[in-house]
Amino acid sequence: MAIQSGPALSGRGMRRPSRRGGRHEIGDTTLGRWVRIYIPVLLFLFVTLFPFYWMLITSFKSPSELLDFNQSPLFVVKPTLEHYRHLFTGTHFGRWTLNTTVVAVVSTLISLLCSILAGYSLARLRYRGADTIGWGIFVTYLVPPTLLFLPLAFLIRRLHLFNNLWSLILTYPTFLIPFSTWLLIGYFKGIPRELEESALVDGATRVQTMIRIVVPLALPGILSAGIFAFTLCWNEFLYSLIFLNDTIAKTISVGVTSELIRGDDFFWGELMAASLLGSLPVALLYSFFVDRFVAGLTAGAVKG
Amino acid sequence: MADVELATAGRAAARHGTFTRDRLVFGYALLAPAVLYMCLLVGLPFFFSLYLSLSDATVGSQVARFVGLQNFVAIFQDSTFRLALRNTVMFTVVAGIFKGLLGTLMAFLLIQEVAGRKFIRSLIVLPWTLPVAISALAWKWMFDPQFSAINYVGVRLGLIHGWPNWIGEPSLAMAAVIAVNVWRGFPFAAIVLMAGFSAVPLELLDAGKVDGATFFHRYRYIVIPVIAPILFVGLLFDTVFTLSDLSIIYLLTFGGPMGATEILPTRAFEIGIQAGALGRGAAIALVLFPILLPVVYFGGGKRCERGRGGPGAGGVDRGGGAARPRATPPAPSPRLRGARAVCPDRGVPRVLDGRHRVQDRQ
Repeated sequence: MAIQSGPALSGRGMRRPSRRGGRHEIGDTTLGRWVRIYIPVLLFLFVTLFPFYWMLITSFKSPSELLDFNQSPLFVVKPTLEHYRHLFTGTHFGRWTLNTTVVAVVSTLISLLCSILAGYSLARLRYRGADTIGWGIFVTYLVPPTLLFLPLAFLIRRLHLFNNLWSLILTYPTFLIPFSTWLLIGYFKGIPRELEESALVDGATRVQTMIRIVVPLALPGILSAGIFAFTLCWNEFLYSLIFLNDTIAKTISVGVTSELIRGDDFFWGELMAASLLGSLPVALLYSFFVDRFVAGLTAGAVKG
Repeated sequence: MADVELATAGRAAARHGTFTRDRLVFGYALLAPAVLYMCLLVGLPFFFSLYLSLSDATVGSQVARFVGLQNFVAIFQDSTFRLALRNTVMFTVVAGIFKGLLGTLMAFLLIQEVAGRKFIRSLIVLPWTLPVAISALAWKWMFDPQFSAINYVGVRLGLIHGWPNWIGEPSLAMAAVIAVNVWRGFPFAAIVLMAGFSAVPLELLDAGKVDGATFFHRYRYIVIPVIAPILFVGLLFDTVFTLSDLSIIYLLTFGGPMGATEILPTRAFEIGIQAGALGRGAAIALVLFPILLPVVYFGGGKRCERGRGGPGAGGVDRGGGAARPRATPPAPSPRLRGARAVCPDRGVPRVLDGRHRVQDRQ
C-alpha cells in the first residue's frame, strides 16, 4: 500500500544497525565518524544554508552599511527594519503575495481535480490504451515551458488575458497535471483492489467506490501532489514574466525582480527581505512534508 | 495484481460485455478533463509552434507567410545561436555531473546513523524549495565583486586573487551559473537517491557478501540495478529542467557577458519575446526538441513498458535492466541469481518486511 511507503524513507535501506558487533573497524571510532560523516555533513549544510544567512543579514543592514567597503559583509552591526517597512509601504509586495497565492491555490485545485480523475481511471480501470495514454500524459510533462512559451504567449494575447491572473491559472496546470497524475497513479495502484471489489459486489456504483473508498485511502498521495503543485506554482517564473507586465498584477518572483531592480540599481536590502519572505511559505511546507513528498515520488517510480 | 480483473467480470460471464463497456465509458469520462486540457494547452501550442517556426510571424503582424525552413537556416548561420547551443549542452552536462556526484555523496552521508538526520534532511532540501528567481537574486548579490561574502572571504583566506567579477567576466560567468544550478539541484538528487538506497533489499547485499563480492561489485550489480529506475527518473526530470532552465541565467547574467552564458531558452526569449520575431524564436526553441527527444523517449518508453508488464515478469532484474540504457549486464553468479529468486520483490513494503526480518535476526 502506498501509505506504507512512508517508513521506507527513514533512509535505513543500506544501513544496518550495529552490524559489526564486536569487530570494530578502524574508521569506526568517534574521531573517524567525525571525519567521515559529520564534517562532510556540516560542509554540505554550510553550502546549502549560507545563501539564506546572506539574505537574512542583508535584509537587516542599513543602506550605508550594505555598501561599506571597510566593514566585514558577514555580519550586521546595526540591524534595521527599514527595508521591510519599505517593502510593505513603498511597493506592492502584499499584492504580489496575494496574487501568487490566488494563482497557486486555484491552479493547484484545477490540476488536482483533473489528475485525481485521470489517475484513478488510468490506475484502476484497466482498459485498452490506458498505458499509452498514461505514457502520453507523462511525455507532456517533459515538454518544457521553454518550448511552449512563445505559442502560449500568442494564445494569451489572442484571448486578451495579458496582465490577467487567469493567464497563469490556465497555463500552470499544463505542467501540474502530468506530474500529479503520474504521482497519483502510483498511489492508486497501491490501494488493494479487493476493497473496491467487495464494495462493488455489495452494490456500490463505481462512482461511489471511487469517492468513498479509493480517494480517501489515497489522501496522503493527493496531499503530496497538492503540495508539490502548489510549490511549482509559487516558484514559477517564466510564464509570469511573460504574461504579466502590470505592477498590480505581478507575482512575487516577477514583482521582486522587476520592480526592485531599476536598471543597474539594485535595492539589495528590499530584494533580500522580499526573497526571504517569498521563500518562507514553501520552505516551511517542505520541511514538514519532505518525507511524504519523496514517498510519493518513489511510489510512482518504483511501483509504476 | 495487474491482470486479475475485477472479480465480477469473470463471475458473471453473461454480463461481461456490458460491464466492460461501462467500465470503458466510465474510464474515458474520467480521463477526459485531463486529456482535453493537455491537448488544448500543450499539444495544440506545440504544433502551433511548429507552424510558427516555418513562418515569418512577428508580434506586430497580422498575417504570417509560410517561409519553409528559412528560419532554421537563418538561426544556424547566427554565431550567437551556435554559441548558445554549445553552452546549453555544456551547462546541462557539467551541472548534471556535479549534481549527480554531490547528490550521491550527500545521500550516502544521510543514510548513515547521524544525530538529527531528519532535521538535517529538511534543511538540505531548502535550496530546492526556494523559488528560482529568488535564489538567483541571492546569488547575484553574493557574487557581487565588492560588497559580497564570496570575494571577502576568498581574498582573506588567500583562495582568490584580485576581486573577480564572477558574473561579469566571460571565463567565470558560466562557472557561476552552473554553481547556482548545482546548488539548487543537488538536494533533489540526494533525496531521490536516498529513497533509492532505502529500496535496496539487504538480503541481496548479504548474499553478495557471502559469495565474496567486493564492495564495488556489490554496488555495481546489486545497488545500482535496484536504484536504477529511481535514479533514472530523477536524472530524466533534472535534465529536462536544466535544459530549459531560463530563470537563473536570465536573472544572473542574461546570457552575457558577450554571450558566454547564452543558452537556447534565453536566445529564444530575446528573439521571440523581446525582439518580437515569433517565427525565429519558435525555431530556436524547437532546436531543444531533438535534444530532449531521446530523453523523453527513454523515459516515457520505459514507463510504458513497465506499465504493461505482468506481475511475474517484474522483479529487480527487469526494473534494473530496462533502466540501464547500456544494458547487457554480465550474468551474475548462479548463487546470486538464487538470492534474487528468494527475494524477487521490488515494491517498497515487501522490501521493508525483508529488512525487518534481517534486523530481528540480529
